[in-house]
Amino acid sequence: MKLTVNGTRHDVDVEPEMPLLWVLRDELGITGPKYGCGIAQCGACTVHVDGQPVRSCQLPVGDLDGEVTTIEALGTPDALHAVQAAWIDHQVAQCGYCQSGQIMTAAAFLEVNATPTDAEIDQALSANLCRCGTYPRIRAAVKSAAARLNEA
Amino acid sequence: MGRIRTIARRSFLIGSAALLGGVAFGAVMYRRPHKNPLPEQLVAGEAAITPYVLITPDGITLIAPRADKGQGAYSVQAALIAEELDVRLDQVTVDPGLPAPVYYNTALASDLLPIRSTNTNYLADLARRVADAPVKFLGIQITGGSTTVPDGYDKLRHAGAVARETLKAAAARKTGLDTAQLTTKDAHVVLPDGTTLSYTSLAATAAGIEPADAPALRDPSEWRYLGKPMQRLDMVAKSTGAQEYGIDVQLPDLLHAAVRLNPRRGVVISHDATQAETMRGVRSILPITGGLGVIADNTWRAMQAAQAITVEWGPAPYPAGMDAHWQALSDSFTKEQIDSQYRDDGDAAVAERPITAEYRAPYLAHAPLEPINATALVTDTRIDIWTGTQIPRFIQSNISALTGIDTDNIHVHVQMIGGSFGHRLEDQVVRHAVELAMSMKGTPVKLTYSREEDFAQDFTRQIAMARMAGSVTSGNVETCDLGIAMPSIIASQMGRQGFPAAGPDTQIVAGAWDQPFDIPNYRVTGYRAPDLAPISSWRSVGASTNGFFHDCALDELIHAAGADPLAERIRLCNHAPSRKVLEAVGEMSDWGSDMGETRGRGVGFCLSFGVPCAVVVEVTNSAQGIRLDKVFAAADVGRIIDPVNFEAQVSGGVIFGMGHAINCEITYADSAAQQTNYHQYEAMRLYQCPEVTVRGLENGDRIRGIGEPGVPPAAPALANAIFAATGQRIREMPFNKHIRFV
Amino acid sequence: MKYLPLAILLLFPLSAAAQDSEGLEAWDRIYQVTAHPRCANCHVGPDNIPVWSGPSLGAPRPHGMNITAGDSRIGAETLPCAACHVSSTQPNDTPHAPPHIDGFWQLAPVEFEWFGKSTKEVCNQLRDPDRNGGRSFVELADHLKHDAFVAWGFNPGGKRQPAPFTLRDHVNDVLAWGVAGQPCPGD
Repeated sequence: MKLTVNGTRHDVDVEPEMPLLWVLRDELGITGPKYGCGIAQCGACTVHVDGQPVRSCQLPVGDLDGEVTTIEALGTPDALHAVQAAWIDHQVAQCGYCQSGQIMTAAAFLEVNATPTDAEIDQALSANLCRCGTYPRIRAAVKSAAARLNEA
Repeated sequence: MGRIRTIARRSFLIGSAALLGGVAFGAVMYRRPHKNPLPEQLVAGEAAITPYVLITPDGITLIAPRADKGQGAYSVQAALIAEELDVRLDQVTVDPGLPAPVYYNTALASDLLPIRSTNTNYLADLARRVADAPVKFLGIQITGGSTTVPDGYDKLRHAGAVARETLKAAAARKTGLDTAQLTTKDAHVVLPDGTTLSYTSLAATAAGIEPADAPALRDPSEWRYLGKPMQRLDMVAKSTGAQEYGIDVQLPDLLHAAVRLNPRRGVVISHDATQAETMRGVRSILPITGGLGVIADNTWRAMQAAQAITVEWGPAPYPAGMDAHWQALSDSFTKEQIDSQYRDDGDAAVAERPITAEYRAPYLAHAPLEPINATALVTDTRIDIWTGTQIPRFIQSNISALTGIDTDNIHVHVQMIGGSFGHRLEDQVVRHAVELAMSMKGTPVKLTYSREEDFAQDFTRQIAMARMAGSVTSGNVETCDLGIAMPSIIASQMGRQGFPAAGPDTQIVAGAWDQPFDIPNYRVTGYRAPDLAPISSWRSVGASTNGFFHDCALDELIHAAGADPLAERIRLCNHAPSRKVLEAVGEMSDWGSDMGETRGRGVGFCLSFGVPCAVVVEVTNSAQGIRLDKVFAAADVGRIIDPVNFEAQVSGGVIFGMGHAINCEITYADSAAQQTNYHQYEAMRLYQCPEVTVRGLENGDRIRGIGEPGVPPAAPALANAIFAATGQRIREMPFNKHIRFV
Repeated sequence: MKYLPLAILLLFPLSAAAQDSEGLEAWDRIYQVTAHPRCANCHVGPDNIPVWSGPSLGAPRPHGMNITAGDSRIGAETLPCAACHVSSTQPNDTPHAPPHIDGFWQLAPVEFEWFGKSTKEVCNQLRDPDRNGGRSFVELADHLKHDAFVAWGFNPGGKRQPAPFTLRDHVNDVLAWGVAGQPCPGD
């Protein structure tokens, strides 16, 4: 089975029902997307498929239709995505385990809404669970990232 | 991270301070008199070096032996060393090191018992504490009890200072100058003429020098890092997907494993894995303690196969349903079951006590977002374990008992932890991983619990019940008699580590008996309920339930007295730093200002882990339910090391406390936890999260940790706010059993 | 012969009264389907918020996680429904996972609002081409036969309670109701 992840073409020998998350993590060694719940309750596994946010624990790899981007290719320490830069500025992460998914969800959201209201931020990101309680900083960082994207 | 493992294998922990061209500095080095016979008592692997600072020609490594589970422990430990060592944090590598006796945590134990810091004999030290200490487990290398900063505050700065002075001595030897002429800056020794010698270039010389005497620590007024906003070291990695957690460990030929465990924590009576064995990728299925393990070539395949096993489970060693659990608590308020009565002021027993109330707090899962996991590589002579843990030395001891391999040959590589809240104070997953890896010698096996197994197998927060009887007179609280019943957390937790716990368990009354109030008749009695479902430490431990009980009881009495909730707490308070945090939240929230008909404001307070923390919550009673609007929190840790992280810990703690109070519980039916995943255990989500404003105060006499103290006052502040907005007293968590939330 | 051929109904026309009575009986069964949480939860009004209700979800409440599908009815403005409700041909057998279909998850158009509406209201909606997608009853029946959502409603997977009756019964009821002249309660 062939798939494109972060611009690289891969050929994996897996059953079509295997969730994309486990193809990424255990077959390709791409561990930025996290396993948290397996039932789309936490959002830690969020990746982009052709720019759209997808909980990779829910998507059977056989049903994948598009190119996958994970947190590793959203930006890098040397070339941060605006959302990542805002996350660092606001020191959002505590344990950090949910933050790949938070950032991927936020980045996709800001692509469609570059000037979100507080209410819209709460609508876009409430399906991503953070057990440490970093929510106030997540809100602040999304706003900063939006401002940064609008400047660019 | 990572470099230390290579170095360690080569030379680091083999019994000498001198490395291959490098030097390691530790605080104990200078504390130990030269005549100390201790080095002779050391066995192999218990090195005489006690390193926090490792300098080689290749670089500088700071050792941070307290586990980082999201609270920023690595960063704060590194900053404490760096402040005295004169290095920038971008010039060093931070590594958790390998478990060693010298990394004993002395902070919380020193609150509770006399301790000889010179004795590093692991078992003797442990045995003494088991016999003497109410909180026995805190003496060994353990991360917990909000102790990382109090434990390391002097120790780590000393280690930095000793290293700095030794490097200056090395520079003096090399240049012929006097150390008094030398200064240090940014990982260099600076000569009088301005030329510099890097620390790394001095490593070989320093290795041959006896570590310098401990110089006086710098006055806080001279600090460059401590006390100022810091950038956490893990922030870039955690924002780019580069941070590796235990669950991400990758090794050559790694196999993946899953478990199917008895949801009642009993035995396996029979099982049929015929179908599972035929499933793709499955290498083997074997019995492990309490269930079955599947080793496969992919975690998902292993989990699928584990689900395909049919099993007949044995019964549980605790009651089947919640009625029996609550009944056991209810029946425990007897004279025979009194565990402690550390506070008994005035005449609470015989005073008139017309006001009564009963409170309940349920079992709660830890449920950090990283499911527990461990990777093990077993050979005939050594075992390597990669896992996020707060108890690396216990793991060595337990795995040694399991395998017969000496603890010296059990290497625990501590990983970054994706949240714990006390979950990683248990090590069942490590035992399971080793049991599986023993069947695959030479091949590393990574075991990941499914989220469902993580919930089912959690050693939860205690269940607890409290009864208050009190009275008021002329506008003041006169009598508060609070009884609290719960099983012993410490007995359950330490029992799994093989240590019986004798004597009272202070956690049964922690956060209640020790509150800084003068009430004329004031008594707090702990009742020890029988062991029920297994329980463990959950962020803030006893105070997570008792802070709710005590503060809500006080609020009810204050209301009955017709007094102002904040003013009466301040009037009753006998501890200046506590009074100041109460005054602070009053000021922050503009306490007393009009809020209108549908809104309410409540205050909560708890002194836990030596930290007074006050919280004011504002809510609206909307048509959709209770909405949390704003939270104001103030806490006093004596001295704030990093104001940015302080704010995160207080804010996170309050949100954690409120989220669980609103909608979380673990209930048992047929002795199995009914909550299987986050859809039944949401706690707080973004849209429910209020604005949180935090203020840090520094009036306390000692430095304290802040990981836990934000939790206990959060739930009572919310309950008291709901009362203010609706007139409804909620005496049981989770609150959503009694009132609807937005 | 999966579906009752229309021709048979047309060959043996019943009396008007009998037709009306049988039509209303068919409608009553149709309404049991449209009012069932499995179907009604995503046929919601202009607040664009799907509902969680039914045997496994309890008393009606807004979809958890503060979800809104937006005016787009697919969540395009904030979080796409498809972020969790992926498009997949695999069976829906993971307990408590969001269900999926082989298609794009979304709310029904707002003019198809059913949740909480009376039998009379929904009936009048369904026979009004302005509020049923411009469909004759035959076209409605045909739509039901081919729509992935409808198929899922009757076979939701796992332990989810399906919509009542069967898809075949439901299509036949729509046909019978149509042949009877699409009678509604209160006509």
